[in-house]
Amino acid sequence: MAATIIQYIISGIAIGFIYALVGIEYTLVWNSSGLLNFSHDRLITLGAYIFAGTMIIKLNINYPIAIFLTFLSMGILGALIAQGIFNPLRNMRSNIFAVMGTMLLGRIIAELIRLIWGPVPFTLPGFMTGTVSIGSAQISKANIIIMIVSILVAVSLQLFMTFTKIGKAMRCVAQNKRASSLMGINVTQNICITTGISAIICTIIAILVIPLFNVTTTLAASIGLKGFSAGVIGGFGYLPGAIVGGLFIGVVENLSVLFLPAVYKDVVSFVLLIVFLVVRPSGFLGKRA
Amino acid sequence: MEKKSNTMNNKKRNIILICTAAAVVLILPWILTTDYQIMVMNKVLIYTVVVLGLNFITGLTGQMNLGTAGMFALGAYATAVAATSYGISPWIGLVLAIVMGLLVGRGLGYPSLRLKGVYLALTTIGFSEVVRLVAANWVSVTGGTTGIRNIPYYSLAGYVFDTQTKMYYLFAVFVAFGIFCAYRLADSKWGRIFKSLRDNADAVEMSGVNIASCKILAFTVCAIYGCIAGALYAHFMGYINPSSFTIDLSTNFVIMLMVGGLGSVVGNIFGAAVVTILPEILRVFENYYQLIFCTIVLVGAIFFPEGWMFAGIKVIRKMVKKLRKREHITGEMGGGE
Repeated sequence: MAATIIQYIISGIAIGFIYALVGIEYTLVWNSSGLLNFSHDRLITLGAYIFAGTMIIKLNINYPIAIFLTFLSMGILGALIAQGIFNPLRNMRSNIFAVMGTMLLGRIIAELIRLIWGPVPFTLPGFMTGTVSIGSAQISKANIIIMIVSILVAVSLQLFMTFTKIGKAMRCVAQNKRASSLMGINVTQNICITTGISAIICTIIAILVIPLFNVTTTLAASIGLKGFSAGVIGGFGYLPGAIVGGLFIGVVENLSVLFLPAVYKDVVSFVLLIVFLVVRPSGFLGKRA
Repeated sequence: MEKKSNTMNNKKRNIILICTAAAVVLILPWILTTDYQIMVMNKVLIYTVVVLGLNFITGLTGQMNLGTAGMFALGAYATAVAATSYGISPWIGLVLAIVMGLLVGRGLGYPSLRLKGVYLALTTIGFSEVVRLVAANWVSVTGGTTGIRNIPYYSLAGYVFDTQTKMYYLFAVFVAFGIFCAYRLADSKWGRIFKSLRDNADAVEMSGVNIASCKILAFTVCAIYGCIAGALYAHFMGYINPSSFTIDLSTNFVIMLMVGGLGSVVGNIFGAAVVTILPEILRVFENYYQLIFCTIVLVGAIFFPEGWMFAGIKVIRKMVKKLRKREHITGEMGGGE
């Protein structure tokens, strides 16, 4: 029993890190442009398809180069999305246009995926498989890799935001767009860069979840939504908050299987979201709104 | 004096417009040749009800609601379960749907609209997913993924609305009533508050209006409209299952609102019609029709943010003005000779 609980907690932490990365990725875009990117789940799916479908299976490139090429293409795509949708739609009378722009883009991407790679799910054989046993608990290698990579991403992002000029500019834009544009920061360009980085994080998520969910068109449907919950629960618009929120959701959701029928596992994050909005809308780490 | 005649003229114009619209609605089933076309029109009518409601929260108040499919599903399931498992009349099912709408509006609006920000978009999108998940997994009540079959048609004093044409007229009555309520509400004190909330929420708050409760009211109205439409849909299709109530449906409703132009009741009808009929026309492109449809709408959103219809009207007005100017000039020249 204890071993099962430990196993649940560890896989909860692993999937929690995925939610945390989703939270980080959309918080970045939110901070820079004031918009929610509702196409992010489709971007994650697209990343998985480019990496697994094109780079590995079709072109048979070795993993490091494939990962690099996928990052590059997704980063450029992210910047293009920012230039084509966020920047023209961000200053409209109502933010509905921008939100709908991203949702429509998501549908277009989904359709393209279906047309290019076909609707049949597939997987990468032998990619991050196998288990490690610690004591009596069995932990899959994928979960360990997810944890390590996520921590690396979070730390390097934090370093990037603290020490580089672009990172500092990103933090300025997040705080006050008008003031930062008066200080000579190119806000439009900054939004492009941020969205590009966000798309790269989407790709990292995509590659990490391939062993968990296989490559399907609905790969990211649920983690996309839970990432939103993670952001709110941790403190909306605050990067460390997204990590705390993601881990919290991951662990609670996995432990809920002990008390609830497994099919309702996906409902837990939504209930937590509502509870937090009623009880503590600023989340775990957020400042009072 | 001139002002008076102007309002008289406006009134006359409105009466003429309403009469022509009613005539078009009445004649339409005779023009459409196949049952399928009338079915599409029925869908347009049902979706119009949803969009009329969505207009309050997203169009007028400016809060994003991405969970309309959830409300739609809830209304549909409430009346379908009542009718098939307990043999309750669809009309009482309609009341049930309205109660559902009230509950959703309050229950979801309270946590998410008390706060400023985008919380409503997030909670509604989550809510919609939860409704779908519960509908798919609570097999004993909702029938799970196989859905509910044999939902009875509406009937009034022994007269059963069992063909597409009969249902068309019934739904047309519903839509007319919905439009009437929407107009009355949009012109009421509440409607004006909703509009001002979109333009400047701070100023409204300064005037002593409780903006949270107003937003919750707008959202509740939206939820009730959505649930009523869901109930109509259940008795129209005769069969419902969870796979039709996805986020794509919610997106479609907001697209309808956007295509028609935010905040305009006439635009809502136009949007519902375009977004329902256009994919049917684009079906000639087979595999690519969704892609083409989404691209058209996306480009439309970027270039015609005021809605396609109003963009079209603007262009026509400009052309008319130009023509008149030209006539004027040629007329003057003629006079000079």
